[in-house]
Amino acid sequence: MSKKLKTTQQSRRGFLKGVGAAAAAVGASATPVQAVAAITEPKKRYGMLIDTRRCVGCHACSVSCRSENNVPEGKHRSWVEYTEKGTFPNATLHFLPRLCNQCSDPQCVSVCPTNATHIRDDGIITVDADVCIGCKYCIHACPYDARFLNPETGAVDKCDFCLDRLEQGKEPACVATCFNRARIFGDLNDPDSTISRMVASNAVSVLRPGMGTLPNVFYIGLDYADEHDIRFPRQYIRVTTHRDENIRR
Amino acid sequence: MHELTWGMPVIAYLFMAGLGAGALTTSASVLLRGGQSGKYFSIARYGAFIAPIPVALGSALLVFELGSFQAGHWFRFLNLYTVINLSPMSIGTWLLTIFLGISVLYAFTFLSKDACPGDKQDGLRRLAAWVGIPLGIGVAIYTGVLLGAMPARPFWNSPVLAMLFFLSALSTGVASIILVRALLHRKHASAQAEAHYHESGYILSATDTLLIGLELLAIFLFLMYAHLTIGSVREAATVILAGGELSVLFWFWVVVLGLLVPGIIELAILVPSIVYHRAYRSHRVIEILVPVVVLVGGFMLRYVVVIAGQITHPIGL
Repeated sequence: MSKKLKTTQQSRRGFLKGVGAAAAAVGASATPVQAVAAITEPKKRYGMLIDTRRCVGCHACSVSCRSENNVPEGKHRSWVEYTEKGTFPNATLHFLPRLCNQCSDPQCVSVCPTNATHIRDDGIITVDADVCIGCKYCIHACPYDARFLNPETGAVDKCDFCLDRLEQGKEPACVATCFNRARIFGDLNDPDSTISRMVASNAVSVLRPGMGTLPNVFYIGLDYADEHDIRFPRQYIRVTTHRDENIRR
Repeated sequence: MHELTWGMPVIAYLFMAGLGAGALTTSASVLLRGGQSGKYFSIARYGAFIAPIPVALGSALLVFELGSFQAGHWFRFLNLYTVINLSPMSIGTWLLTIFLGISVLYAFTFLSKDACPGDKQDGLRRLAAWVGIPLGIGVAIYTGVLLGAMPARPFWNSPVLAMLFFLSALSTGVASIILVRALLHRKHASAQAEAHYHESGYILSATDTLLIGLELLAIFLFLMYAHLTIGSVREAATVILAGGELSVLFWFWVVVLGLLVPGIIELAILVPSIVYHRAYRSHRVIEILVPVVVLVGGFMLRYVVVIAGQITHPIGL
């Protein structure tokens, strides 16, 4: 079976090489090597795995995100929610780092009337600030409250896995700064990447899977409680988001 | 609770676009239904003049609300016209633009002081009416689809919402025609003209009453749809049910004042004509007050829906 698979792959590669060479011959700008690389290299799907058991709520990620991306005051690309649950002695305090989930089926993209928000080939969703008109439709469409209007640019802004750092071959700022290695970043399409191995070998979950957005940010040790659950308490819950002063308590 | 990202301009726009779309749809239907005889031509004329104004004003308000406009990129909203995609907002933009053009053209055909059925502009007018009806319906419905398309906003995420907005748009459109007609009415010299005025008043009131009834039905379905399910949609609907933050705004301003009061008054005036076939007679005060409360109710419906959608969230993580 595996041998058969290998031969198919090889023959496909050969075929693609042929196509690549033909494409290169037609398009004078691309050299044959580049063309082949562009076609045969498998598509990336960047994702993040957050191990909430390792998070201590130090906000290093929030702070590094602000300084890296020049996030305007009062707005957040990345933030940490503190959830206090239960009463002594049966109580817990846990932390939930939040960011854009870079969904595979993102509704923000499908409602954007100008295509300013789009999904890149590597799965990252970005907003083109020069195209975005700031209609705020995507802010409503996002089930994760991950988007905000940047008052300086007039465009909607959100986490993009530190795109400019990725292009320099670095990890996103929140990952690089997480001293307890609670965040793991990588290519989910590469079965040998750390994140793929961790996602495969742990019980992971995503936020609001019922929304059908297929998030690419995974969590280990996700709890059900969030800020909106306070209205229907099943037990004592207090959520501090460090995000919105108007949050309902 | 997240801040309200869509505020008063959007609420006013949804109301005004609905009103204009309803006015044009009503006007064009009445014109085409009247056939060559040109019966109810005056109703069509009022509707034609009303239609473009609120739609143009509302659309302008929307532009002021855009983040790009507020940040000083005044013409960036033109990016909307570089794309056609399946976003309800993109569809709506194009519908609205074509609607504005057609409604101005349609109003233009009525502009001449002695415009009458069968005059020089008749062909153009009827063509604009044929195109205007689907456009008006499209604009009225898209405002509901715009809000209803998002599972992340459970209050809006109801298939009934677009229908409710559509009915409300038609109802406020008819009400605006009744209102303007009553305000501009001078007592006719001939008894025949006066009788014709009341006859067309009957058509408008009867239509409005029917639409109000359908609106009540749509609200009933909206509440049932929300209340008989479990989860996010049900929890979101509690804001307009008893004890919810918006329950007074909704039940008093929308349901009682905006629908039940005008519906009952109009019905009381209509019953003698419907049941006993008496000549329809309305009072000017009623012809002014009823559409005013209908318009207030239509505005409050948009207000309650837009606010409710933003202060409610999906439950659970």
